[in-house]
Amino acid sequence: MEAPQYVAARVQQALAEDGRTHELGIRVDIRGDQLFLRGQVSDAEQRRRLGEVAHEAAPELHVHNEIKVVEATAPGEDEHLD
Amino acid sequence: MSTLTDLRIAAVGDIHLSTDDRGRYRSKLDGIENRADVFMLAGDLTRHGTLEEGRAVADELRGLPIPVVAVLGNHDYHSDLQYEIASELRDAGVVVLNDDGVVVQCGDKKLGVVGGKGFGGGYAGKCASEFGEREIKNFVSHTRFIAESWKVALKEIVADHRVVLSHYSPIKETLEGEPHEIYPFLGSYLLAEAVDTAGADLILHGHAHKGTEKGMTPGGIRVRNVALPVLGRAYAVYCLDWPEELGIHPA
Repeated sequence: MEAPQYVAARVQQALAEDGRTHELGIRVDIRGDQLFLRGQVSDAEQRRRLGEVAHEAAPELHVHNEIKVVEATAPGEDEHLD
Repeated sequence: MSTLTDLRIAAVGDIHLSTDDRGRYRSKLDGIENRADVFMLAGDLTRHGTLEEGRAVADELRGLPIPVVAVLGNHDYHSDLQYEIASELRDAGVVVLNDDGVVVQCGDKKLGVVGGKGFGGGYAGKCASEFGEREIKNFVSHTRFIAESWKVALKEIVADHRVVLSHYSPIKETLEGEPHEIYPFLGSYLLAEAVDTAGADLILHGHAHKGTEKGMTPGGIRVRNVALPVLGRAYAVYCLDWPEELGIHPA
């Protein structure tokens, strides 16, 4: 079984190198079969794409997309903890 | 098809109100009842812990249309008037936790909230121990007593959801951005260990202004640093939900 640190590194690399995302600075943590994405992006569509790429890079894990969308004019959004 | 049940928790810490701030924070809470079922405050409600500041905070929170649960922070202890400040808040209808718990009815759900100020000591592998000078033993044993109180309260509480409300941080992940050297003064892993043992859905804390909003305990419980400077907004809203028919409920 691959060590979770290597899986996390692979996902992080995919988020940075995949043409759909090219996103640096997203933190990837793995606990058991759960994968958590954290960081900040500027729009919801980018967050969705990051979740998609992460899922493709580690399809055996359940992805929790906790990436925060920061928009200068928005007061913030609710977070669903599932 | 599963059904989702939401419980919406508005939370913020470190509002640090002074007597000059009367009315300013309250205006930011307009319409909170449309966004959340309960409002939680994670300590450091005042700047210096004076009674006048405590009264100003109580006035800001008085009469909100949703239940309000709060803990105090180290700033609220600064003038040794923590009990008086808590009393002012309670008179304004705020539930103030002091290493105990409360059950809040939110619609058809019971929300159990356990917590208190918390305390420091550091994180596993790099923390103080109950050894040597009496002062160090007192420091560590204070945190240990608090953690044990929370564990007991969590085990005893009967509710659909359980949330822990603290000022100090149970984990170091949500401190990221703060200087590593001050971590032992920002929280303790003993708090996380207690909550991991007893179980909870979410832990909210403040205190670390330069920290990071999101983290989790070693046991996988989500932790949120809701310090106002971290959030950058009047409060955050967290929704607890799960597919009921799958029986995914907190332990």
